[in-house]
Parts: sequence; C-alpha cells; structure tokens
Amino acid sequence: MFSGADIRLLYWRELRSALRERNIVINSILLPIFLYPLLLWLVYMGISFVVGQTESYRSRVMLQALPEQHKFLKTELQGDRQIELKTSPDPAAEISRGTLDLLAEFLPPADGAGLAGGNFRVRLVYDNSKDRSEIARGRIAERLGRYRDRYLETEGKKLGLSPAALQQYWVENKDVATSRQKGQFILGLMLPLFLVIMLCVGCFYPAIDCTAGEREKSTWETLMTAATARKNIVIAKYLYVVTMATLAGILNLTAMLLSMKSVLAPLLGGVAGGMSFRIPLSAVPLIVLVTVLLALFVSAGMMILASFARTFKEGQSMVSPFYMACFVPVIFLQVPGLKLTPVLALIPVVNVAMVFREAISGVYRWPLIFLTLAVETVCIALALWIAVTILRYEDFLIGSYGGSFGKFLKERLLGKRKEGTK
Amino acid sequence: MNPPVLVQGLAKTFFDEARGEVNAVQGIDFECRAGEIFGLLGANGAGKTTTLRMLATILAPTSGNAFILGHDVVTDPQGVRRQLGFYSASTALYPRLTARETIEFFARINQYPADKVAQRVDFLIERFGISQYAGARIDKLSSGMKQKVSIARTVAHDPPLLIFDEPTVGLDVLNAIEMQGVIKEFRAQGKTILFSTHIMSEAEKLCDRIAIIHGGRILACDTFQGLRESTGAHYLEDIFIHYVRGRA
Repeated sequence: MFSGADIRLLYWRELRSALRERNIVINSILLPIFLYPLLLWLVYMGISFVVGQTESYRSRVMLQALPEQHKFLKTELQGDRQIELKTSPDPAAEISRGTLDLLAEFLPPADGAGLAGGNFRVRLVYDNSKDRSEIARGRIAERLGRYRDRYLETEGKKLGLSPAALQQYWVENKDVATSRQKGQFILGLMLPLFLVIMLCVGCFYPAIDCTAGEREKSTWETLMTAATARKNIVIAKYLYVVTMATLAGILNLTAMLLSMKSVLAPLLGGVAGGMSFRIPLSAVPLIVLVTVLLALFVSAGMMILASFARTFKEGQSMVSPFYMACFVPVIFLQVPGLKLTPVLALIPVVNVAMVFREAISGVYRWPLIFLTLAVETVCIALALWIAVTILRYEDFLIGSYGGSFGKFLKERLLGKRKEGTK
Repeated sequence: MNPPVLVQGLAKTFFDEARGEVNAVQGIDFECRAGEIFGLLGANGAGKTTTLRMLATILAPTSGNAFILGHDVVTDPQGVRRQLGFYSASTALYPRLTARETIEFFARINQYPADKVAQRVDFLIERFGISQYAGARIDKLSSGMKQKVSIARTVAHDPPLLIFDEPTVGLDVLNAIEMQGVIKEFRAQGKTILFSTHIMSEAEKLCDRIAIIHGGRILACDTFQGLRESTGAHYLEDIFIHYVRGRA
C-alpha cells in the first residue's frame, strides 16, 4: 500500500546515510561546487603565468643589411626591453639550434623602385616549431608595422600628402552584441554541457549505492523484511537519487555562474570587450524544469542498470556506458550556430541541453520546447515502466539474477523466456 | 484459535541457469504454537532458508498457503511483516547509521506506535548494553556489538513472532551462547520463535519442537522426546540420520 509517511522515512534514511558517505558528498556536493570554478581559476592562473613569463623574456633578433636611411629602427629596437639585437656569422643555423630567435633580412623592394627613397622588403626568418621564435616574429612584425606607419607619414608629409591621403580607406569593426549577449553566448556553450556532466556525476554514486551497494552490504534483505510495500522502498530510493542529481546540477550551475562572473569575465574582458554572465530571470523556471526532468530520466536509467549489479564495482561498470551516452552527444552541441530542431528535440538529454542553451540566450521555440518536455516525459515513463516490470521478477528482487540489463531485456522483457517470474 | 504460524502444502520452485528447475520446498505442512521455539533442522540446501524467506514474504510461494497470526503471506505481506522480526546472517545493518538511528528506523518503518518509539529505543539500548555505543556508526562497532544491534533491530517493533535463520552461523562460541540466551529470553516473554539450524546441539538445547527437513520435505516433526521415542535413537544426530537415510 502506498504510504507517504513510509516513503518520507525511507527517503530521509537514504539521505542521512548518503550525507555520511565520503564518495557521495564529494561527487554530488563538493565536486559540483568546486570542480569547474577551481578549473577556471587554474586556467586563469595558468594563462596569467604564461603571459607573465612571455612578457619577461627578450627575443634575440639579428638585423641584416638594414638600409642606412632606417638606422633609427635599429636605435628603437636597441631601446626595446623585449628585444635583444645580436649578430651571427650563420644566423639560419643559430635559429635552428635555438640560440637565435629571428633574422630580419632587409632586401630591395620587389619592383626595384618606390615613391620615396630607402624602400625595402623585410624577410623574417624564424622557426615556427619554437615558441620563442614565433613570439619574436610577432614582436618584430608588430614593431616593423608601427615603424612603417610612422615612416610613411613622415615621407608623405615631405611629398605634401596627408596621412588620410596615404591611407585611402579604413576598416572599422563594430560589434553589435551587448556585453550581456556575449556572456550569454559563452554561458550557452558551457553550462548545458557542465549541467549534464554534473547531473550524471551527482546521481552516479547514489544510484549505485542504493541498489548494488545495498546488495553488497547485505542490507537489501533487511529492507525487504520491513513492513512497508516494496513500491514505497523503490519510490523513496528514486526520489533520493533524483534529489542528489538535481542538487548536483543546481549547485554546479550556481557555482559556475558565480565563478564565471569573478574569474572568466575578467579573463575574457580584454578580448571580448567586457562580458556580463547573467541568465535571464524569465529563463529560470524553464531551466529548473528541464534540470528536474533530466534528473528524473538520468536517475531512472542509472538505477535500472545499477540494480542488476551485485557489487558496487559491478554497478560502476554497468552504469558507466549510460553515463557516457548521456554527456558525449552534448559535447557535439558546441558546433557554432546549432539550433533546436524537431530532430534534436526528439533526442533525450540532447534536447534538454539545447532548450537550456537557447533559454540562456532568451530564445524560446515553444513548440519544440513542448516536444522536448513530451519526449523527456515519455522517456521517464518508459524507464519507470521498465523498473516496475523488472521488480516483478523475484530472482531480480532478491539479487539472485546473474545477468545484465541487456540479457534481461532480451530474455524477459522481449518475451523470449519467462523463467524467474513469480 | 489459529496457531501463530500455519503452513499448508507450501512449495517453492526456482529456475536456475545451471540446474534448471529446482524444487527447493515441496509441499510442506507444519504449525508453530504460541510461545514455543520451533526448530527447522536440516543440512545445507534442505530448504530451511527458502521456507523461512517465504514466511517472511521475501519470496512468494509457488503453491500452498501460509498464515502468520492470521495474515496470508501472499495476499497480505505487509500485515505479515508487521507481525514478525526476521534475523539471518544475510540481514546486515546500514553501516552509516548509528545504533540508535538503526533501531529507531526499524521501529518506525515496522509501524511501532510513533509516540512510543523513543521509549522503545531507549529500552532496547539499555537491554542489549549498547548505551555506550548508541551514537556510534554501525561500521565503527565490533562484530559482537553489531550482533546486539541487529537483534535489537529485529525486535524493534516488538513483534509477537520472531524468525531466526541460522542465527549463530559465523559467531564465536561466546556470541553463539549469548544468542541462544537471547532467544530463550524472547520465549520467556511469550514470543513465538521459528528457528532454523543445522547444528544438532543447538536444536536439542533450544527447541520445544523440531521439524527435520530434507530435500525440501519435512520428514518428521515432534518434540525431541517424541522423536527419540519414534526412532529409538538417543541423540538428535542419530535421529536426524535415521530419517534422512530412511528417506534415501
């Protein structure tokens, strides 16, 4: 008989036990809160370190055949803290050995003449397979470009040409995206993937612990003697796993948002002109709904698979393929310009990730959202039907069934053999 | 008045991948009287555990009937489970709960009156001498302490019928003797006890009546004295051999 009081009692027992289990606390609570913020911080620190190191060392450069009219360029480079001018009898060999980073070879202009005297071509000889050499190329190219602009301006003035007359036309960039839209784009790429991964991680251990774990610890039979209906036990366990999954998902989302604001925004700020990592308030109910639906589906799937295992290790190997199947397709959603289509809306987990991604950007394709919700609901119902059907088999219930879900599906659910029924 | 345990033609057939169809229990009949210790004596694989699991509603019978204090094991399994406490080597405790939480949880889930649970838990903690460890997690307790908590868990809801499936398996002599003492104490409290064992001396010492079970069938059921008189053998071991060989 269905009993809310019994379910509550069983649910709290599961939760109390879980919160005392180190693996569950780490995977369902600590990891979602700290993992990605920590990774982001490490990336931030790593990039800062690399940039600092790169800024601090000097590029060893040799100038060859610098025209007399441009000796000021040499003076400029000599005064540059990031450039060290060197000479060598065999610069190419030194570049290969790594004792010289770049050779700037000054050559006559390609057409042999020019408007002004002292025209030249520069060939930058460097080794692309060496970081230092590549950085030296960037530095010298940038300094030569600046020097050329100034030189042209000076020479133009001598000929009575203004800088505008020399420039002819300009290219200007105007980004119409607001800082909020830019932030939403980044969030849309990252959050759905992290949500799916964290939700799966969050329910992985609880799903195995409350099924295979009970068998391994021999507490399953103790529970079977309790004066409550079996379905109350199953419902309580299911609710517990869903709780842990949802908790992991929501904690991770919150932690990600906070860390993106404090770590990623400053990191990308210089590149993207400032970003605002905020989820539109109007999207929150939809995000919570799809998160719960995803938790219901993933929990049911993992519990079904884990309940065929007799030990925790067996459970891990049985659940892992499902875990991978859930989040690997979401990785491919990082393709630029991908939209929620009717086909994507029919694929469980992927559809939720797409709805989530679009909701972050404030895009709501309601017919496809309803299709997604319907597909997820059908999947959850199917998973629960499988769970209920499986529980009718006594050998499964008492843990004497030795096969996997695949074998069970083939032999029992698809009706090839009915042994083991009550 | 109906006996606390009434078993009629109870049978259980399994399908085993290696052995095919296995008739673990083949239409057994017996009854337990109120306040007695009834022993199921048999070798490993005789059908003792399967019988007790059917009575505890962990397994469903293939055929036959069984009633526990008037509740049918097939049609009213929850009613049955409320009336009994089941203890076996395979009924372990939750390692991450404390002793107190364990007893309280099983008292509540087995429908012991909510307003009396705290009092009952205190009583059992006191009775089994686990006050010092009541707040400790089960996985931190010694095996002796775990055994005490496990017995307290079994009787947490004060059931009138107790089923002990080979309760002394794996215990050292002292703990086994303590377990026997506890079972006797429960009988003294008026509880009916259904007890399975393959240890002859244990059955001899504890049971008011003994059913010899072999190959899923009950070969004899009587008091120890009655079995002696029926077979002319003095020791239970000889009585057991007499029936088992006679069957063969």
